[in-house]
Amino acid sequence: METLSLLLYGLQIALSWENLLYCFAGCLLGTLVGVLPGIGPVTTVAILLPFTFGLGPAPALIMLAGIYYGAQYGGSTTAILVNIPGESSSVVTTIDGYQMARQGRAGPALGIAAIGSFVAGSFAVFVVAYFSPPLAEIALRFGPADYFSLMVMGLAASVILASGSLIKAIAMVLVGILLGSIGTDVNTGAIRFAAGLPQLTDGIGFIVLAMAFFGITDVLVNLEKSKEQHVANAEIKNVLPTMEDLRVSAPSIARGTLIGSILGILPGGGALLASFAAYMVEKKVARRPANFGSGDIRGVAAPESANNAGAQVSFIPMLTLGLPSNPTMALMIGALMIQGITPGPGVITERPELFWGLIASMWIGNLMLLVLNLPLVGLWVKLLSVPYSLLFPAILAFCCVGVYASSNEPADVYIVAVLAAVGYALIKFDCEPAPMVLGFVLGPMMEENLRRAMMISFGDPSVFVTRPISALCLAATLLGLIAIAIPSLRRRRDAAMQE
Amino acid sequence: MSVIRALYTSIALLIPFGVHAQTFPNKPVQIIVPYAPGGSTDLAARVLAAKLTEQWGQQVVVENRPGGNGFIGMSAGAKSKPDGYALTLGTVGDVAVNPALFPNTPFSMERDFTPISMVSDAELVLIAGKNTPYASVQDVLNAAKAQPGRLSVATSGMGTMPHILLEWMSLVSGAQFQHVPYKGGGPAAAAVAGDNLPLGILAASGVASFVKSGHVKVIAIMSPERSKNNPSWPTLIESGVKDVGGSGWSALFAPRGTPPEVVAKISADVGKALKADDVIARFSGAGMEAVPTTPTELATRIKKDRESFAAIIKSANVKPE
Repeated sequence: METLSLLLYGLQIALSWENLLYCFAGCLLGTLVGVLPGIGPVTTVAILLPFTFGLGPAPALIMLAGIYYGAQYGGSTTAILVNIPGESSSVVTTIDGYQMARQGRAGPALGIAAIGSFVAGSFAVFVVAYFSPPLAEIALRFGPADYFSLMVMGLAASVILASGSLIKAIAMVLVGILLGSIGTDVNTGAIRFAAGLPQLTDGIGFIVLAMAFFGITDVLVNLEKSKEQHVANAEIKNVLPTMEDLRVSAPSIARGTLIGSILGILPGGGALLASFAAYMVEKKVARRPANFGSGDIRGVAAPESANNAGAQVSFIPMLTLGLPSNPTMALMIGALMIQGITPGPGVITERPELFWGLIASMWIGNLMLLVLNLPLVGLWVKLLSVPYSLLFPAILAFCCVGVYASSNEPADVYIVAVLAAVGYALIKFDCEPAPMVLGFVLGPMMEENLRRAMMISFGDPSVFVTRPISALCLAATLLGLIAIAIPSLRRRRDAAMQE
Repeated sequence: MSVIRALYTSIALLIPFGVHAQTFPNKPVQIIVPYAPGGSTDLAARVLAAKLTEQWGQQVVVENRPGGNGFIGMSAGAKSKPDGYALTLGTVGDVAVNPALFPNTPFSMERDFTPISMVSDAELVLIAGKNTPYASVQDVLNAAKAQPGRLSVATSGMGTMPHILLEWMSLVSGAQFQHVPYKGGGPAAAAVAGDNLPLGILAASGVASFVKSGHVKVIAIMSPERSKNNPSWPTLIESGVKDVGGSGWSALFAPRGTPPEVVAKISADVGKALKADDVIARFSGAGMEAVPTTPTELATRIKKDRESFAAIIKSANVKPE
């Protein structure tokens, strides 16, 4: 009851003309930079930072948060339309979303992404409002051993993602882990596999990887196909999701929202793990004839709901522990600190107007995004009817601009070119990029936490089984592996894949 | 013909030197930051850039060139045109630790840079989790001596100022610790607050909220002198760890060869900006102090820090491998 009245108090703050304006500005800017490559949310927030000096902490944070979750919406748009995930958490969306777009169902895909995100965002607002202090305490208790075991579970489960061969899926996860190990080792400072290139000392950026393995590789694959196929692809069936689409997606949205709300609490891989986990769960529970991997709307609804819920819940570790989940959030912490507010356990009680105002504004922002994005769907879909001979040079150019602008580093564009060649070869061998991305993002975190856990325990590996969270994750992984290893169960897995 | 042309060229080259300082800046100025947006160095750069924009009536733009232990940004700064329009904000790590830590850095402070002014200084503290029995530096040292290498200390990373100070403290006191590097101060502070490990050396601003909430306690300040804001924190030196003291500072540099009048003008204007009330307030919000200096003072400080860090790194045998 008290929380409800505090939420109402937050709503009063968020509904002031000033805050509404900044919320809208943030959402609009975020959508724009999310859709347009070349300038990402980090750059936008960095440029706007001096502008927030003159604002109060609440409007400043409301606007910056709007840019952050607005960009998430925008990132899903490019994932669905042109197979370019703007963030690691929209990688899964490309699997079915892009297939839907190719079947002329880009509209329903975009629509369900927007609706799912809105539902998830609204639910996550309540999670943040009601459970921030206890959840922050849980996140704080999460030690390196627990992180390691969770990553192991995530990676082991990721092979389910692949619709093809199990061996190839495992191989791709391993390739991802190897690619992720390029760069400076956190524990020793040693530079690994950088081939003497200073540009590789911080590893390959996610944007670089995404542009290469998704955007450009896909253009190459498409160019091989005959012209007729493209024309057929561009045939638009309907612009908005039908009632049937909504009915099929509703349970998926609910499950995705729940998973995102739980995993989003973990700083770092939270939103990514959430979107992958949501997708895997959908594949497992689908009873109706499913065609995951070739344009199933549930394969868009669930991960999109999960990553949006995760993105909102990740404000808990950011505000109450000062732990950013990504560079955009790191900048928000900076913006708060310049205003004299240090994120930490006391921030909810000391700055209620900031905390509750932000929470309420996130809900309003999600509503604005829905209103803003649904009419845009028609526009985006029309974009797809542009002849591919005109579209693909634009995609290539945007990829290069986007890569360069995200780091100011010309060498990154060359790295994209090299990786795109690799990505093309992998597609030719029927190796899917999604499990690789999971390995790429989670692998380095897994290694970092494994070694840290071992350092803290002075080389005693029993921490992995004596800590309850860690033990639980490892047990689940083991069970899963046994299930795969036993041939009879394995046949069932294959059967599940065939559906 | 060629002689005349050479003469013209040299005149053309000479003229701007005289008027440089009066007309500077007549186009946008860039500040290269060798770190990603959001860190304290980036914040310092953005606050300073906003103030200089106001003072100069020209846009001062922050350009982040993160990566490779700051090497990418520092190299970019070193290779910029020496006209005062491309400045670099380096940290103590970039200019005093890395040259001693890495056998061949792609830039040289002497060859490539001219100091302008120190910009920010951040206090570092030694913290312990609330459930640990440690209340003083002596407690910590005794515990470490009782079990050499079995006391873990979290820092913001390998080769960072907290890491150097940890090694220095070990060398002087003879107590051995287990160094556990994190990716930045935030995760390290949360790890100590969450009881993952007992100790940490971190920026005071980053742990302030956990100190307030009672998750961690401050054992000592790592600076040579007590803090103005928190005078109750003892220094390591007064706790018996001789000479050990340092903080996380950042400073502004121009490429070597920048006209001295321009350097002097920038130094004076940066000094003015860093004395403005709003800049001081924003710096202190982010846990930093604005510390303007003359180019000579900065050069002396770099030399002093580099020599002592080089000795520590050599004695403690710290190597990035």
